[in-house]
Amino acid sequence: MTKTDSFKIIEKFIIENRESHYRLAYSYVRNKEMALDIVQESIFKALKSIDSLKENTYLKTWFYRIVINTSIDYIRKNQRVSAMDDDHLLEHLPQIEDEFTDMDLQDAIEQLPPKYKTLIILRFFEDLKMDEIATVTGQNVNTVKTRLYSALKVLRIEIGEDFRL
Amino acid sequence: MKKMNKLKKDYEAIEIPAELEDVVKSSIRQAKEVRKKRPIVKQWTIGVASAVVIFIGSINMSPAMAQSMVNIPGLGVIVEVLTVQKLTVDEKTYQANLDTPEITGLENEELQTSLNDKYMEENKALFEQFEAEVAEMKKAGDGHLGIDTGYEVLTDTGQLLSIARYEVNTVGSSSTTMKYDTIDKQQNIVITLPSLFKDNKYIDVISSYIADEMKRQMSIDEKVNYFQYDGSELEFEAVKPNQNFYITTNNKLVISFDDYEVAPGYMGVVTFEIPSDILENLLVSDTYIN
Repeated sequence: MTKTDSFKIIEKFIIENRESHYRLAYSYVRNKEMALDIVQESIFKALKSIDSLKENTYLKTWFYRIVINTSIDYIRKNQRVSAMDDDHLLEHLPQIEDEFTDMDLQDAIEQLPPKYKTLIILRFFEDLKMDEIATVTGQNVNTVKTRLYSALKVLRIEIGEDFRL
Repeated sequence: MKKMNKLKKDYEAIEIPAELEDVVKSSIRQAKEVRKKRPIVKQWTIGVASAVVIFIGSINMSPAMAQSMVNIPGLGVIVEVLTVQKLTVDEKTYQANLDTPEITGLENEELQTSLNDKYMEENKALFEQFEAEVAEMKKAGDGHLGIDTGYEVLTDTGQLLSIARYEVNTVGSSSTTMKYDTIDKQQNIVITLPSLFKDNKYIDVISSYIADEMKRQMSIDEKVNYFQYDGSELEFEAVKPNQNFYITTNNKLVISFDDYEVAPGYMGVVTFEIPSDILENLLVSDTYIN
């Protein structure tokens, strides 16, 4: 596989999957212009660092990771910095969960720290498998599961019996 | 999970702005421009170049051997393809590299001269066009332009000689055009696609084989893509009567399509080897293809 070949494959992948990349970015920033910026920046980053992609089978998770990191960076740069570490922040969230009862689930997801929000998006909206999520986020599968459960708990969602994480 | 499913629907309904496609494509283009600053030599042109060097080398180093091969009954004439002319331009953003092949050793000198003249003239015309475009770009400010032509001997048997000539144009992205000549060295004729067949039925047979093959390839490998209307109906309908082709060493017919002819640019030049058994009844004879 020459570099030109992988460049072509990635180019095709980016064009074909542009809509899901846009949605992913949009779900973080909820703003068209910002989401487009993120998509553009992600493409630059990706094509500049083709070398970091070992095999084309990882293309999907590799690019998702770039989009997510770019989105989170973007939020950090453009919005107020959350002073609290994500894990601590989550511990505090259940205390106000009663107020969530009338709150839209959408808003509740928006309130989640990015680390947890990412997991919800990837698992439920992008339908990624656990091990794919682990690859995207660079965590091990167990950590992903634990965090997803905590996130769901916060969101007070009951998981149906036929539903597996 | 109902709520979550509804959210998923909302997520999927996130409106895709019309400008997304342009943003994505222009980002890729810009990223490419950055990459282009390093000259990239296509891998296979290196292979072709060295193969040609070895070929010339072995004939030149051992004239006795070349001579003895001519004299061995059954081996026939040695028809050679050599690079006779190299035109190069090497300026920072303007690159041209034109190699012109020349065939020697064909018995029919008239045919040989006409082919060689054609190769020479084509490259001359391309070079002049390149120079004119560069001059225009320089007048307008600055630009990037690259052209690369060369050739590859695909088949060289006692009977057949197939030469592929390629032309790679680089303006931002690159596109490749192929031209093939297949020569019967014994009969001293240039073989055309229609001349292989009894009548025009080959167009339908080959086209439907290729269409099926395209669909088959796309179904097993998602990285393979041919132009489709609305993402389902193949845009490819039929080969041209004189579609690009060559004949392999094993006497198989190969149909070739240029960049963008049937597939997106990243697929490059695509070729299809046609199984000889489906052509059997259509062929004038099985001398070339079997």
